[in-house]
Amino acid sequence: MNLPIYEIQSLKHSYENTTVLEIEHLTLQPASIVGLIGPNGSGKSTLLRLMGLVERPSRGNIIYNNRTVEPFSDDARFHITLLPQEPFLMKRSVFKNVSYGLKLRGNTNGVLNQVKEALALVGLPSEDFIHRPWYALSGGEAQRVALAARLVLKPQVLLLDEPTASIDAASAQLIKEASLRARQKWGTTLIVASHDWQWLYEVCDEILHLFKGKIIGTGRETIVFGPWNEVATGKWGKTLADTQVLQVPKPPNKEAAAVIDVLSVSEDGAKKTTDDIILRGTVARLTLERNTDQIFATIIVGTLPFTVGLTQQQMKERAMFPGKTVSIRYHPDQIKWL
Amino acid sequence: MNFIFDGFFQAIHLLTTGNAETYSAIIVTVKVSSYSIGMSLLMGIPLGFCLGYFDFVGKKSVRTIVDTLMALPTVFVGLLVYALLTHRGPLGNIGLLFTLPGIAIGQTILALPIVTGLTATAIEGLDKKLRIAILSMGANRRQLFLSSLWESRHGILAGAIAAYGRVMTEVGISMMVGGNIKWHTRTITTAIALETNKGQFGMGVALGLVLLAIAFCVNLSVSLLRKR
Repeated sequence: MNLPIYEIQSLKHSYENTTVLEIEHLTLQPASIVGLIGPNGSGKSTLLRLMGLVERPSRGNIIYNNRTVEPFSDDARFHITLLPQEPFLMKRSVFKNVSYGLKLRGNTNGVLNQVKEALALVGLPSEDFIHRPWYALSGGEAQRVALAARLVLKPQVLLLDEPTASIDAASAQLIKEASLRARQKWGTTLIVASHDWQWLYEVCDEILHLFKGKIIGTGRETIVFGPWNEVATGKWGKTLADTQVLQVPKPPNKEAAAVIDVLSVSEDGAKKTTDDIILRGTVARLTLERNTDQIFATIIVGTLPFTVGLTQQQMKERAMFPGKTVSIRYHPDQIKWL
Repeated sequence: MNFIFDGFFQAIHLLTTGNAETYSAIIVTVKVSSYSIGMSLLMGIPLGFCLGYFDFVGKKSVRTIVDTLMALPTVFVGLLVYALLTHRGPLGNIGLLFTLPGIAIGQTILALPIVTGLTATAIEGLDKKLRIAILSMGANRRQLFLSSLWESRHGILAGAIAAYGRVMTEVGISMMVGGNIKWHTRTITTAIALETNKGQFGMGVALGLVLLAIAFCVNLSVSLLRKR
């Protein structure tokens, strides 16, 4: 295994005494694609800003290429670049926005060609866009110009914060392709926070699931949020939209989040034989994980999505397809509380 | 009413024939206001950047003080600088009383809070995403400072114009610190005050027109700069 490109040690970040991110240890490999998933407020953007060296952590170290780095570190500032969720273009033309980073680096050779190449990477014809002012761009075009301004730097690390949120489908596709091309062309390490789980599962070497500022797993977990009620004497759970009851052991508090490990999926109408709980749901999505060839099924029970991993053999045996009604089985004692 | 029209025609005559006394006041004014605005921009822009950009204990109090100083009465600044520069004052031995540098010091004190306050306002008004964008491109501290200034250039220019207008049109400091000495420290405003007292409306109106022309030129240049 290579020397990690990033190593995070005892990282803690707080805003006004509220801890928003806490990671004890994390390493990321060079030229890998890492996905960050988690609900809003889980710490994804904060982690990207810290790794992108635009904020200093309240505590702990970020080690990049074997050196501890922080904002303005000469060892890293020319190698790492972050594309924030809401792109910000300076009040300049597209050319000046894209070439800004080159200017900071004192790179003056063939700037025009480099800018044209970067614009082409994100699908913007340079003859139409290069002289446009910042205010004459649509949301998707502005996001693509912002990405071009990062790609022109041929970064070693490209951090993307929700790169495809709130833009049109065509722009989103171009941004996805351009990001992957960066990795292909220059061996760029991509770290992407996105709600587009399907895309992440398709392209990522590793997925980190963040919840309340902590890494809780790889994104295959099913997390169900409170509130929880006492559905019968001594029995706790949640009544779902279709009147089924999601039964759980007594939660630490009514708002706690439960991590549910689904044991198996079977044909609808499976008989209850043990203490396991069986719920009926509908297959909503099937996703192939690139590295393991495992298939992940998203099954909607009531309105809650459950994620279950299946081998190709299991897929064949169960003849799974989106829209099929199936039963899922879990054991309440194996539920973990966050 | 006739004396006003007579004054106006006399003003045109003074300006077109190159009246030495009139032009002496104009040159003194341009010279001393350039010194003072230059000094206040040099000090005020970095101070305003720090005040607008950084969070520190007591920032609100500092901001209130700066905002209050923006409305400094010119006669009070004149009095203060006079007291400092007079031969009995702590800086009396430097010999700056009744000199152009003396007036420039007073006018710098007048303009500095305006430049600082309006620069701070311009920097505070910058989009918070700008800092992330600049840093994510690999800027160092100096580049972050310069790029932030550039992005807030319109606000800073507005501050500079406001300060220049205040410096050009003040009378109190020029009169008290400069002493209104003919050919030496007489500025446009002190000359207008004196000539009007003497009933010489022509020179007063001429100098007033020059003030207007300077203000117009400055605003025109800024407007052209903004378009670029």
